[in-house]
Amino acid sequence: MPKWAMVIDLDKCTGCGDCMAACKLENNIAIVSPEEANVGRVMFWMDMITTYEGEYPNIKVKRIPKPCFHCDNPPCTRVCPVYATYKNDEGLVGQIYHRCIGCRYCMVACPYTAKVFNWYEPKWPDEFKSCLNPDVSLRMVGVVEKCSFCAHRLIKVKENADMEEREIYDGEYSPACGESCPTNAIYFGDIDNKESQVYKLSQSSRSYREMENLGTEPKVIYLSKRE
Amino acid sequence: MKKSLLDYTLKIKLPLILFVAAVSFIFTFYVSRAERDGVGYQPEQPINYSHKLHAGDMGIDCQYCHTGVSKGRHALVPSLNICMNCHTVSRKNQPEIVKLTKYYEEGKMLPWKRVHKVPDYAYFNHSVHVNKGIDCESCHGNVRQMDVISQVKPFTMTACLDCHRNPQDQLWYLNDVKRGPENCAACHR
Repeated sequence: MPKWAMVIDLDKCTGCGDCMAACKLENNIAIVSPEEANVGRVMFWMDMITTYEGEYPNIKVKRIPKPCFHCDNPPCTRVCPVYATYKNDEGLVGQIYHRCIGCRYCMVACPYTAKVFNWYEPKWPDEFKSCLNPDVSLRMVGVVEKCSFCAHRLIKVKENADMEEREIYDGEYSPACGESCPTNAIYFGDIDNKESQVYKLSQSSRSYREMENLGTEPKVIYLSKRE
Repeated sequence: MKKSLLDYTLKIKLPLILFVAAVSFIFTFYVSRAERDGVGYQPEQPINYSHKLHAGDMGIDCQYCHTGVSKGRHALVPSLNICMNCHTVSRKNQPEIVKLTKYYEEGKMLPWKRVHKVPDYAYFNHSVHVNKGIDCESCHGNVRQMDVISQVKPFTMTACLDCHRNPQDQLWYLNDVKRGPENCAACHR
């Protein structure tokens, strides 16, 4: 059984935010008005953490793309009272929207704040409605949602592989963010497969995981030379 | 006095309450059936199209009209030009065909009423199932015998999972059949 993982090379990442836009379009994520966004109700599955260091002329900027980390030991699934969020045998942490009761325990439990809540009935501008992706269900008001590693793409890849009676090859399944990245900073693959690029990169000396001391064992691995 | 009150409660009141409860349960069970699992749903269609005549008696293959079934997620309701492949010539004067031709000439789609519905949060792909050799009948019932199409099998999660868990019981006609995926993300996404 494969174990899907993502490697983000921060030395390659320019912080352009293409992954955020691709994710937003791929997964039909609702657009929030600026006023709502200012009170912390902004909806991104792929977020961009920006930190500034130093004083004005000598500023160091860090831009870190942050999807859901799909932890091997997820804190969110433990607290869900209705099993709306769960980890499947391929290591993907999923969310079933129509089962979610919107209690937001999982949002509190997640140390990475990867989950977002639908405060309003999701709305799109009229021009946008024909852009909605039919592969991803629309969420309703009052449910929690999060990055799924584009699980709908995995289903498609699996179905194709099944029809052609072959195994999924390395790099066939990639979420929208990885596919859209202009500098190819996002790698995706099976980390249990010793031949895969993701496994090789995860063994690099530059690799680290976010908040490793918590024991959540995230499956998104960052590569960076900087501290 | 006391005894007769107990008598009244046990002999009349209690059976009456139980009877009313049972009747209302049975009534709700059957009335809400179509709403719960869709069984028995048979809407009136804009044209008296008979699957029994076309697919049953004449033996036209399902895929002659439902062209998408082996290629993609949706089976597709045929566009009118598929009907007109035959009906430009055959049975032109029948009243139902005249209706059909009118729609065709106006360039409109027939407003079919959808019978088999899957909720939008559940993903179902026809091509995977059909290409593995699963017969249409396993989910849609014996369409070849239906004059007006109706739903005969439930389209619930239980129905999907019954087959995904024990495919041998449901799909006895297939020699080599794999178990379907059972994790939530296989259908809900």
